[in-house]
Amino acid sequence: MEFSEHIKTANVEDVVLRQPLHPPSRGTLCITGHHLLFSDREEGGPRQVLLLLRNIDAVEKSVENLSGYSSLFSNAGRSERISGSSGTITIKCKDLRVLQLDIPGMEQCLNIAHSIETLSCLDCVSELYPFFYRPSDLSLQDQWGLSFPEKHYSQMKELHDRWRLSSVNRGYSVCPTYPPAVIVPKEINDDMLVKVAKFRQGGRFPVLCYYHRKNGMVIMRSSQPLTGANRKRCREDELLLQAVIDGSDKGYIIDTRSSQQAQQARITGGGFESKSCYNCWKRLHRQMERAKALQESLIKLVEACGEESHNMDRWLSKLENSKWLSHVQTALSTAGLLAECVERDGHSVLVHGSEGTDSTLLISTLAQVIMDPCCRTVEGFLALLEREWVQAGHPFQQRCAHSAYSHARLQQESPLFLLLLDCVWQLWRQFPLALGFSEALLLRLATEAYASDYGTFLCNSDQERCSLGVKEKTHCLFQALLRPKEREYYSNPLYERTELAIWPSVHPQSLQLWRGFFLRWTPQARHLEEAQEEIRNMVIEWGKLALVT
Amino acid sequence: MEKQAGAAGTADGAGPNRKPWGSPNFGPATGDTLDSPAGSHVEWCKQLIAATISNQISGSVPPDIVNKDKKQDLHDEGLCYHKESDSEHPSKAMNLPALRYGAQVRMFQNQVPLLPGETIQTTVKDVMYICPFSGLVNGTLTITDYKLYFTSVERESQFILDVNLGVISRLETISVPTQGENTKGLELVCKDMRSPRFAYKTEESHPDVVEAVAKHAFPISHNLPLFAFRYEEQFPVDGWKVYDPTAEYRRQGLPNESWAISKINSTYELCDTYPSILVIPTNITDEDIKRVAVFRAKHRVPVLSWIHPESQATIVRCSQPLVGPSDRRCKEDERFLQIIMDANAQSHKLTIFDARQSSVAVTNKAKDGGYESESFYPNVELNFLEIPNIHVMRESLRKMKDVVYPTIDEAHWHSAIDQTHWLEYIRLLLAGAAKIADKLESGKTSVVVHCSDGSDRTAQLTSLAMLMLDSYYRTLRGFQVLVEKEWMSFGHKFAARVGHGDENHANSERSPLFVQFIDCVWQMTRQFPAAFEFNELFLITVLDHLYSCLFGTFFYNSEEERAAKEVQTKTVSLWSYINSQPEDFTNPFYVDYEHHVLYPLVSSRHLDLWTSYYARWNPRMRPQLPVHQTLKELLILRAELQKRVEELQKETSSHSLSSSSEHSPSPTHTIGTPLHTAV
Repeated sequence: MEFSEHIKTANVEDVVLRQPLHPPSRGTLCITGHHLLFSDREEGGPRQVLLLLRNIDAVEKSVENLSGYSSLFSNAGRSERISGSSGTITIKCKDLRVLQLDIPGMEQCLNIAHSIETLSCLDCVSELYPFFYRPSDLSLQDQWGLSFPEKHYSQMKELHDRWRLSSVNRGYSVCPTYPPAVIVPKEINDDMLVKVAKFRQGGRFPVLCYYHRKNGMVIMRSSQPLTGANRKRCREDELLLQAVIDGSDKGYIIDTRSSQQAQQARITGGGFESKSCYNCWKRLHRQMERAKALQESLIKLVEACGEESHNMDRWLSKLENSKWLSHVQTALSTAGLLAECVERDGHSVLVHGSEGTDSTLLISTLAQVIMDPCCRTVEGFLALLEREWVQAGHPFQQRCAHSAYSHARLQQESPLFLLLLDCVWQLWRQFPLALGFSEALLLRLATEAYASDYGTFLCNSDQERCSLGVKEKTHCLFQALLRPKEREYYSNPLYERTELAIWPSVHPQSLQLWRGFFLRWTPQARHLEEAQEEIRNMVIEWGKLALVT
Repeated sequence: MEKQAGAAGTADGAGPNRKPWGSPNFGPATGDTLDSPAGSHVEWCKQLIAATISNQISGSVPPDIVNKDKKQDLHDEGLCYHKESDSEHPSKAMNLPALRYGAQVRMFQNQVPLLPGETIQTTVKDVMYICPFSGLVNGTLTITDYKLYFTSVERESQFILDVNLGVISRLETISVPTQGENTKGLELVCKDMRSPRFAYKTEESHPDVVEAVAKHAFPISHNLPLFAFRYEEQFPVDGWKVYDPTAEYRRQGLPNESWAISKINSTYELCDTYPSILVIPTNITDEDIKRVAVFRAKHRVPVLSWIHPESQATIVRCSQPLVGPSDRRCKEDERFLQIIMDANAQSHKLTIFDARQSSVAVTNKAKDGGYESESFYPNVELNFLEIPNIHVMRESLRKMKDVVYPTIDEAHWHSAIDQTHWLEYIRLLLAGAAKIADKLESGKTSVVVHCSDGSDRTAQLTSLAMLMLDSYYRTLRGFQVLVEKEWMSFGHKFAARVGHGDENHANSERSPLFVQFIDCVWQMTRQFPAAFEFNELFLITVLDHLYSCLFGTFFYNSEEERAAKEVQTKTVSLWSYINSQPEDFTNPFYVDYEHHVLYPLVSSRHLDLWTSYYARWNPRMRPQLPVHQTLKELLILRAELQKRVEELQKETSSHSLSSSSEHSPSPTHTIGTPLHTAV
């Protein structure tokens, strides 16, 4: 590898690191191809900070040619530095941590900053750390992933008389963002599917993503139909949807755009299912913000959280202005609507927006957590994420390239996955007993989606992962999270399985800022984490004791 | 309060009648909400469509009201996440448990549950409850000497609204133009953030509702006794015994060589708003104290409130010095503070925290009040905490009511809260108390706290600081002692601030300072979820009975008044009720952070609006699972294990040491894992 080209200075002594929740410390900084390593030489045992460069969202440097560097440590006898130049690098991470490095020597400082800038946003996926990470307790021979369509299908026997597993997408020839096998109505053959795929943006024809055991209703998802200005029709598409409701009087289509947006989409070749062609389907429009608006919202929120003024600073107004919580509200209420159509109203639903890779996945995932107790365990939730996000083609690489601090021009970045985790956190808070996992799992996922040792969130689709050999050359995060120790750590000790749907309250007075994530690096959040840890341990101990006695 | 028949209802504003009574009326539609965690959705949607849903939603809403926003599509009706539906699912504001005591009663008269000692005054038929969420409910209104009880049995599920009269601040007649000429409207503006409205006919045969309500809601103004004097419930424990000042000071290690327990105020002659037992420095004469009293507003001399067990630094409370525009001095007062400083060998300084805004303190000086001049009091450091006065707080909470009741403007929820400044004042109080606690703990310096009279902001600050410093006050029992001591005995003017039974709602003396204090405590319990033995239900119950007039605990303005009115013999204490069923008010995760000082984070980012109190009447405030039951089970499990551990420990000590290792897991490993979260 040619990482060394980007590293002009690999080691710097005498660096001061300031990070949240710790006193400043002095030590050695080391840059490798994927990591920033800081080890201090303070008394009381050495401490190391290992930071994945990929986690770095923004680097800000300020260099000064003056003395005064050692003013912080008055006892520092390193006189040769005092007269020299120095610089400060501020590192803002995608997990919202902010670190500061005081580096002696202007040149070294600039070199380090340059290395971080380059190495933190390598374009080539196969150069990323997951391809190099080889922990001793995991083997590349292990199964990659928790669930694959074949297994998912075979587990749901109830499906088999009306639904089949199609391998029409073998070789990703029909839809590059779908997995090779998908579940579709039995009476629609592969040739028809190919035609339907041509009628849907990006080839994302309607596929089954959830089967509701209680009443046999399903959730389908797809992208928008390409009706265009001429109101094109596709017989096979209509047949497919007809086959979905089979005998039932109607189905719902939840379009994540406003009806106006859906109309406008026709100009650019997109469109919606018109009443006249799909007369058994009832469209419901719910406008969900586009990717870019979400990213801007996140940036505003993080900015507001970071302003550390303790005075009357109209914090709540800033929180409101960021609109983040209103995005949470929209997502939860749209998911609630979807779940309601299926569970209460007893009808099948097709969900799509435009591409069907973002808000579509967001609400289909949330609806499943709301309705299906199997999705609320640690394994169930991870398998759900794998099905609905990783395999279903959420473009993680594009969406999570940068987070809230980046100075780079925004391209495809958008915190949809983070929004999902926030919504799940709201569910977790409203139903403290119903979810089998803890907040820590959500925090871990929020970090891993942006920068990870594992290959799970690499690339934009199954096809890309396949061509790069991600499944052969990297380890799977979800498998790692299910190792006994991790699994215990991420489970909710108060968990009591309930078969009932968990209907979230979506009014602003019921929603809260996810402080555990957004204010994670403040002392209080840390304190709360510790207290929760303590409570966990207590409850677990009681459980064990209750078994013994 | 309003509740669904049978279901363990919402936070009960009206005293301990939480037990589901009226099981005969237990409707089939409500059954499943009791034992199913979320309440089956199908079930509540059915109820929704029938518009017979619990709390706010009546049984009598004509379908056209419910569906007025949903003309476009018949099939979308009742989809709760669809459109801005104005009806909502059942709101179990708290999922409260059924409590043992105070609920066991009782006589039923015309289906109205009554407390022992409670009598029905008037029953009015054909009254309409104007629900802010779903329209009109027709039913029967019963007025007793304690509560107002509205029932409607239209449709299959019963609707009940139960409001205790003590909570009513004022009665207002409103116009109800749509209901015909001989119909009058009545709005009950309540102290606890709601204002239920009724419409009723004014025919000859009908009793006058307003008169009947006014008479018993404001008994003081009608020369009637407060209901607590009629309440005859028997509790197995006596809450009046919770606070014994001598025992409490003994717990703090008092008296000691510097501080004495004094009887100088035993007949309330020195200061009529102070308790009879005071802790003052040993080497000061009664003569001197009397001179100091003259120099302090309302004679509230500096007295010890809390002493640090290690450093001997103290919290001393008093009122402002009467310095006046001419800069009066009082030698005895100056010497008094010097003695307080000298009683603490660790520090040669004394810090005075004046809760007021400095500009106000200056204005007070012109009006004969004032503050200690640092030039006359050597080694004294004066800090202003810049907390606004009672009028500002009253106004702030009034604005809050507009934000949370009856409906919430969802688009501007956060900015509307911002504009009330309520959280800003909460922040100021917590920050001030943290400064006081830090001065004692880290600075080992004694502090003197006062505002103007030393009974409002002073009580808030000293009690919060003590809660941070002393883990005893974070227990269920200790908190009661704290409230009895800092608030009741030191003469917080509850009668004036709350206005029990008094119709003069515009009295400028009224102010929600105690509510503000409890809010601060709630903020702390959120930041330290394992540090407090009591739970949220306890805090809400305390606030409900601040107004209810069911217990005598918060009556009158001073210890002297309470003694004169024989409150302790003629009324029941709130703590009798609480301590008869402590398991309902206990936090199962409580760990005694003994010797830990808790400093809450006071950045606005870490404070929340206490919606489960302020916004609990909103049907959209919906806690989802009956967590309470699970927590209670945990509490029982914990208690069993604790007992088991104690048994094991006993065994261990009686056996030889080696035998203890056979017990697995080791008992020391189990309860109250020591916390690493020292602060």
